Amino acid sequence: MQAAIDKRRQVIDTFKRELIRRLNLPYTTEDLHEDVALLGAGLGLDSLDALEIVLCIENSFGIKIPDENIAVLRSINTVVDFVLAQKAEKEAPQ
Amino acid sequence: MKASPFHDSFAKKNAVFAQRYGTSVVSKVSDSAAEYHCVRDALALTDVSYMQRFSFPEDKGLDFLDSLCAGNVAKVRFGRMLHTFIADENGHLLADCYVANNDEQFVLLAETIVDAAAFKDLLLSRGAADAGMVDLSESHALLSVDGYKAWAVVKGLFGADVLGLPYLSVERYDFQGEPLALFRAGKTSEFGYYLLAPASKAAPLFDACLAIAAENGGGLCGVEIHNDLRLEGRFFNIFAEGAAVRDPLVLGLQWMIDFGKSEFLGSKAIFARRAAALSHKIIGICTESGAKELVKGTPIYSGPSQVSEVVASCYSQLLSTYVGLAVFPVGIAFAGLQFCLGSERGPAIHTISMPPIMPKSLTVKLDEL
Repeated sequence: MQAAIDKRRQVIDTFKRELIRRLNLPYTTEDLHEDVALLGAGLGLDSLDALEIVLCIENSFGIKIPDENIAVLRSINTVVDFVLAQKAEKEAPQ
Repeated sequence: MKASPFHDSFAKKNAVFAQRYGTSVVSKVSDSAAEYHCVRDALALTDVSYMQRFSFPEDKGLDFLDSLCAGNVAKVRFGRMLHTFIADENGHLLADCYVANNDEQFVLLAETIVDAAAFKDLLLSRGAADAGMVDLSESHALLSVDGYKAWAVVKGLFGADVLGLPYLSVERYDFQGEPLALFRAGKTSEFGYYLLAPASKAAPLFDACLAIAAENGGGLCGVEIHNDLRLEGRFFNIFAEGAAVRDPLVLGLQWMIDFGKSEFLGSKAIFARRAAALSHKIIGICTESGAKELVKGTPIYSGPSQVSEVVASCYSQLLSTYVGLAVFPVGIAFAGLQFCLGSERGPAIHTISMPPIMPKSLTVKLDEL
């Protein structure tokens, strides 16, 4: 269990730090619950912010989000799921 | 017990009523699956007149509301709304609120876990009378329209311009010669609108909305299915996890708080808990497909140790499994882990990322319709 936690925690921490920095959010990483909605409700980010989040993910993890995949941006946790899944795919033996 | 201005309209449609914090609410109108699909696939009208509602003149109301609410009321621009909460002196939740800046007045819409009289007493004890508070609870009715096609109702009533209203905004319209406030909000994760109208117009407003709803495959629903829709879409529900936990930090409601404010009701206690760092937080859980129901209060085990218990749950029609919320120690409050329900050898449950569903409304851009 601890290995899974550590792996997830690392992605969460990186993403939250970058999100706060890029969007100048008035919160600490501890303030941002992983299930908080990114767009609309919750953090209340708009479509311009969504572009910034996509860039944030690309720059932080080297992973691109397809234009049509808005579902990934539902919450911090759904972004982290996507990043972990993409990393696992890259690391899987061919 | 207070009755809603919509009571008779819903009663004629065979609605089942229940009591919640001293107020009559429409519990359900038809079966759960039908109401659920009405919202997810079309739209449904719900009586939300159980929400406490007050207006304040802008000049006096601003400071008063800002001293109460965790969010920053001073930053609410004309025509916009703030989603925040009101806590008690101990920093425990009392109300989940919208504060709207509407044409030289503020409107407070509050879902409270104290009865209406106690909540009003709290406001009065904090100086609401001097702030010019007007209680709209008797004089006005509040109807909620939610669903993938909820926009069709407001477009039918007020014209296509209404589609340009952004999320968390308010606009005034005319309904049969009376002013009506339209709020774009909602907590089902589909499109949502609240219509605040004089109580004298409740019946014709209900009829007009229902006629348009029917043309679009919609109907009526009660608050029971709203509880499920909120949980499935991971919208905060003060009547479920809010009432069970009450600590806004454990509930992950930091986004409703302006930590830059020097003071609001309960701020000292909340700021002290924030400084001490959280020991627990709420996260999503789900059963494996076909598993038995998740029951509130059921303990959750990691090996031989109880680590949590279920604080809210529902059957997810989209996922065909039960989903819920539980408060875990922060060291293990992560999605993707497995625990046991009820006992060390109980059925497996998993912690999950919320929201677990993708609402249809997120795929639609209203201003492009």
